[in-house]
Amino acid sequence: MKTVLDLRDVSVDLPLGGFLSRARLPILLDVSLGIAAGESVALVGESGSGKTTLARAVMGLQPISRGTMSLDDQPLSTAADFTRMRRQAAMMFQDATASLSPRLTVGYLITEPFRIHGQPLADPETTARDLLAMVGLPPAIAGRYPHELSGGQARRIGVARALALKPRLLIADEPTAGLDVSVQAEVLNLLSDLRRDMGLAYLIITHNLALVRHVADRVVVLYLGRVVEQGPTAQVFAKPAHPYTASLIAAEPKPDPRQRRADLAIRGEVPSVLRRPSGCEFHARCPLARDLCRRVAPALASTGPGRMARCHFAVTTQQEQGEEHAVEN
Amino acid sequence: MTAIISVENLSISYRVPGGNLRALRDVSLSVARGEVLGIMGESGCGKSTLAAAMINLLPTGARISAGAVRLAGTDMLRLSPEDQRRLRGRSVAMVFQDPMTAFNPVLTIGRQLADFAGAHDPARAAPAALAAMLGRVGIPDPQRCLDRYPHELSGGMRQRVAIAAALLMQPDVLIADEPTTALDVTMEAQIIHLLRDLRSSFDGAIVIVTHHLGVIAELCDRVAVMYAGQVVEEGPVDSLFHDPRHPYTRALLACDPAVVDPASGRLPAIGGRIPDLTALPEGCAFAPRCGMAQPACASPVPRHHPGPGRSVLCHGAGP
Repeated sequence: MKTVLDLRDVSVDLPLGGFLSRARLPILLDVSLGIAAGESVALVGESGSGKTTLARAVMGLQPISRGTMSLDDQPLSTAADFTRMRRQAAMMFQDATASLSPRLTVGYLITEPFRIHGQPLADPETTARDLLAMVGLPPAIAGRYPHELSGGQARRIGVARALALKPRLLIADEPTAGLDVSVQAEVLNLLSDLRRDMGLAYLIITHNLALVRHVADRVVVLYLGRVVEQGPTAQVFAKPAHPYTASLIAAEPKPDPRQRRADLAIRGEVPSVLRRPSGCEFHARCPLARDLCRRVAPALASTGPGRMARCHFAVTTQQEQGEEHAVEN
Repeated sequence: MTAIISVENLSISYRVPGGNLRALRDVSLSVARGEVLGIMGESGCGKSTLAAAMINLLPTGARISAGAVRLAGTDMLRLSPEDQRRLRGRSVAMVFQDPMTAFNPVLTIGRQLADFAGAHDPARAAPAALAAMLGRVGIPDPQRCLDRYPHELSGGMRQRVAIAAALLMQPDVLIADEPTTALDVTMEAQIIHLLRDLRSSFDGAIVIVTHHLGVIAELCDRVAVMYAGQVVEEGPVDSLFHDPRHPYTRALLACDPAVVDPASGRLPAIGGRIPDLTALPEGCAFAPRCGMAQPACASPVPRHHPGPGRSVLCHGAGP
């Protein structure tokens, strides 16, 4: 499959201290990620893991300090690159209603991308109607204002706007946050239909693991700005290689009172990026941490076909179930 | 078990342009000491109006057309405003979805907790007492936390402080409105754990309002499912999750992505939308979205009791 988005060793850091100080605070460290046409990749991790910073970097809203990015083999580095890329990649925001101007009608809002990118429309009404039909909304909704929409409808308008220019890549930041389960199902079904019909590639940013299981082919787990695990979704959920991934999956509340957890899957909070722990940055919260983990930082290494993990004691898929294997550092 | 707080045949409506919005219709519920009741349903089903009625914080436009909320026998909705204010907080305390908005950003945590605690009993506002409460809700360094401002705490820590603030009032009933919705999955698990621990040490009742089915399953003893202002099904959490009788409960449980096999590709959705609460039908309000609707559903719906502690508002649930 052809790679749509390609990130190599992308790092982001922010200035720290006074304006004469040259100290920089690393937020993202050497993130590499590829998304093929028609592929859906989920980026997961707790608040502060760098998920949103990565999405902002891809959209050119956050300068990167190292690494390279490309979209459809075109490099992304100058302002002109990003202007061109915003026609081919679209972003769906977390708060759908807040991302729509309250004074404009839905019909105007969904044809706005054409105006912004200087593509005059011969017949804006027809285009608006077609876009509404694509996201399953009746044409009459074009005359409404954002405050008259339900949460699910606003989310659909967000999708319609994002897809107006027929992008190759859609970046969705928490696409179902705050929606009722019934509406959430509608939005997720819409996203999978559009992927099938238009061959769209998705980068989905979320901390909702149930959503990841349904919409992502591959999952990338971030912890303190580093990739700690990546692999095909079904395999990662069935047999996580990194203890952090295992803890995230175990922490998810199960909608079955017979499967209540007696113990806590994960203690403590994400450490501050100002005080990164020594060795493996997850060691303080890790149930398997040993002395080696406190001293030596593990590298991201292969744990099986298409899978990587950053752990000295990562579970590898070639081995017998449950056996641990120390990855050479 | 005797109820500590009970809602009796409560009906509440709001005056809106074009009519009367019936937010709650004949709702009856009770919670006993040591019990955790979950209230679930989609947005706009009356969950928040019910919670507001239980803490007596109904918006000024709300009209109580019938019923009562009784706390230890006293009808709270009919007290004088001064008596209401005295009871609020002391008898019923509330934890909100976003703890950032519940705190004053320019005062330290210690100062704000002292205000809450001291309002009812100055002795409880002593720094040692405040620190002890913060320790009880799992704040790692309680003494230092007292000197911090809300923005210096993470979302999970702020929610712990909000729970501590509520418990400082020594309430009989703690109401938590979407207590984990704004949190990461790891912090959510920790707050669920904390609330579960509290129920054994705190001698009151807990009411959790949420649309997150996982939170209900992990935490509650009993569940009430709300639809269009009515409790359409109620029962012990295990039997309600494993043997739901109302088609709405079944649909809600079925469309949770956490229970659907990802290999199936599609998630079941509930078609249609909740009805217009200003023009409710005489019969079942869920019938237009229900796959099992019969002609009989247009007539007033009887309440059936299919098992111990269970009730279902559905024509099809009869014997």
